[in-house]
Amino acid sequence: MNPALPAVTGAQSLRTTLRVLGWTGLGLIAVAVSLSDFLASAPPDAAAIGPLLTPPSESFKFGTDILGRNMLSETLHGLSASVRLAVPAALIALLFGTLFGSVAARLPVLVSLTLRWLLGILAALPALLLAILIIALTARGWASLAAGLSAAPLAFVRGFDRASVQARAVHSEYARATGISSATLLRRDLVYEFSGTLSASAARALAAVTIILSTASFLGFGAEPPHRDLGLMIAAAKTYYLHAWWTAAFPALTLMILILFARLAAGLDEGERP
Amino acid sequence: MIRSRRLLDIKDLKVSRAGVIELDGVSLTLDAGEALVILGEGSSGKDALLRILGNFSERGQEATGTLQFGNGEARPAHKRGRPNIRIAYLASARVAPLNPYASVVSQLTRIVALGLSVPGASAREDLRIALERFATAPPFAALSKKPGELRDDELAWAMLAAAVAQTPDLLIADHAFSGLTPTAVAALAGALTDAQKRQGFALAYFAEALQTAAHLRCRMIVLRRGKVIEEGDFEKLAGGQSHAYTRTLFKALPRLSAAAALRGNTRGEPLLQVQGLDLSAHRKKRASARDAISFELRRGAALALVGEEGSGRHALVRALLGLQRFAHGRVVLDQVDMGILSAAMTSRLRRRIAFVTGSDAALDPRMTLWDTVDEPLRAHLRLPRDMIAGYRETALKRVGLASHDAKRAVATLSGFDKRRLQVARAIVSAPFLCVIDEPLRGLDAFAQSIMIELLTELRKQEGPAFLLITADMRVAQALADDAMIFKQGKLVERGPLTEILRAAKDDETKRLLAAAAPRRTMELQAVVELASAVTESPKPKVPLSVSPDELDPPILLDEPIADDVSPGEERENAVTESPG
Repeated sequence: MNPALPAVTGAQSLRTTLRVLGWTGLGLIAVAVSLSDFLASAPPDAAAIGPLLTPPSESFKFGTDILGRNMLSETLHGLSASVRLAVPAALIALLFGTLFGSVAARLPVLVSLTLRWLLGILAALPALLLAILIIALTARGWASLAAGLSAAPLAFVRGFDRASVQARAVHSEYARATGISSATLLRRDLVYEFSGTLSASAARALAAVTIILSTASFLGFGAEPPHRDLGLMIAAAKTYYLHAWWTAAFPALTLMILILFARLAAGLDEGERP
Repeated sequence: MIRSRRLLDIKDLKVSRAGVIELDGVSLTLDAGEALVILGEGSSGKDALLRILGNFSERGQEATGTLQFGNGEARPAHKRGRPNIRIAYLASARVAPLNPYASVVSQLTRIVALGLSVPGASAREDLRIALERFATAPPFAALSKKPGELRDDELAWAMLAAAVAQTPDLLIADHAFSGLTPTAVAALAGALTDAQKRQGFALAYFAEALQTAAHLRCRMIVLRRGKVIEEGDFEKLAGGQSHAYTRTLFKALPRLSAAAALRGNTRGEPLLQVQGLDLSAHRKKRASARDAISFELRRGAALALVGEEGSGRHALVRALLGLQRFAHGRVVLDQVDMGILSAAMTSRLRRRIAFVTGSDAALDPRMTLWDTVDEPLRAHLRLPRDMIAGYRETALKRVGLASHDAKRAVATLSGFDKRRLQVARAIVSAPFLCVIDEPLRGLDAFAQSIMIELLTELRKQEGPAFLLITADMRVAQALADDAMIFKQGKLVERGPLTEILRAAKDDETKRLLAAAAPRRTMELQAVVELASAVTESPKPKVPLSVSPDELDPPILLDEPIADDVSPGEERENAVTESPG
């Protein structure tokens, strides 16, 4: 053992274990999503597959809903729809949030502070309101873009603050004193800071946009009926979940598992804290 | 009268941790009132000894051997137990041992109260009395500040007072004065020795370098790889009749000697010309000629800026490199006036400036080892990959880091490795000016001697001019030819180092010299006399202020440009008043 290497503490190894667990879970979900058409016994939105509102049984593992749809295959299709909406949204949040934030910290002081100020105001707004606002202002079908853009301000603030700590660090000053340009310093940030934390940032963004998208869908602003996502399924179940619990519980549980794995993959790092 | 009695008796101590043997059969004794310096590198096992003495155990640690405090029972080293003597612990101010959010006085009072088992008010009084006994310590009122607001040496004084106030039987000092300036170390070590004589406690001083040991002048043991390789008095060990390793350690403590010849510096067209630079940029009015600085640094010359912390050396360097605006004066770097250049152009000019600093934060901790060395080449020049690899290889070989893993992050390197990496980065950037800032700070003795060698080699091979910032005259002498002495933002003396060592004029210079040559000031005088007699130096001892031209130094002692002061008056002001 090299004494110069810092010892791996218990907390660090626990975090690594959790992240591996999270990414494994996300991998399994990705497999389930890509195979959802084969795994599901019924096509999406296929009504009258069985009797109405039957509780979970041998033939219908998750039961059936008010229209006689198989809840198991509906949940799989719903998960698929949720993930297909959330992944592009997470990429948008990553690009316009974390990456833009890391770059903006190295811009000239006046520009970078103005950007930080503006996006700081946007980050203070609830992301869901922002998403609904963007959806209301654009055509329907842009829910992914709206969710990505509404999650971006927080990611921007986070990326910006991380990078500006580095920009103010002593080693940056020494680098400038030996004529190293801002472009080279930016390269350092991108190579070491951004790419090093890329997987965690992506998972964090995935968790954030999934919550935004499902809530928006629940309120009727997100996914559109032929392609029901989990949020919309829960919304559809809200009139009779008191006596047919399975219609709401299984989609909700699936949604929770998706968000939990994304959070674990991010190392249980709260997105709200910079 | 203190009875001489055995205070500490360690027999055949063996400590291993996670399979690594840290101490391998160490026995040592310490009598009441005795002082002992335990010297060793980071891997020498002194940390394990410190843990055993301090009753801390580490996970995975196995210890055999016995430990006896005072006239108590000898207990096996692996058992923890309360010693029956009073032990005080003195930490180094550099490792930030105190809570940054509470005042120094409240924390130290609690330590004293716990050590003495007395109420807080009484402990506070003890602390005050102990502090006020030290003539050069900061006032007691200053201790109501938070640790971050005090300088390192002020904090060291406060902690020394707290340790002494506990009236210990044994004081364990854990690298307590390392990294402080020589004047501070001299004063603190003097105070510690006085307190020890007065109170009769035993002292175990753990040290990585000889700077403090040179002031304590007591029995020393040298630890290396878990074994005691040498034991004896400082004088005996310094005398050269010692283990080869010990001799290497002593080499790192260069002795001041005025006998060294002026190194040739005829290469020189000027690299850096400074005229009437006024550092008090924030002040509206123009500073008097006394504060304006003018000098010239030729190519390949080495100039030391010597002074205490906060004496304006860093401000000067920042101004020279165009990192800080200054109100008046002119700086010409490599024939270009820095004042008329745009920010982008000064940045281009700075590409051929390298830094080697005592601050470990100077390198980006995220970067890998190879990337750190490559960066100046990649950022400034368009070179093919194999050429970059060749330069990197050569540089890393020269500093002895070639065998390290290329992908290791700088954050995981040791302090000495980081320091050497800075030198490698300097080598590849082919600098014309190297700014070297306290290069030995925090290094152990062995590393110090290697560092001096590396820097000397750098100067010989790449031939950059050196601008050395230090508080230690010995470092200045080892690496520079000329010196400018600063005190509280003012230049008080300047000239070739040989001249300054021969005949220092300003009180500040004398103070710095005395701190760098502990108890050898008289000896030094003798050496100087002898040297000047032997080499029959034709150079008369002219005061610098009278005829600077005769000295022919690489720094031309230009006068500051000032229209309203006549040259005669100004020369008196600008150089120094002769103190005798």
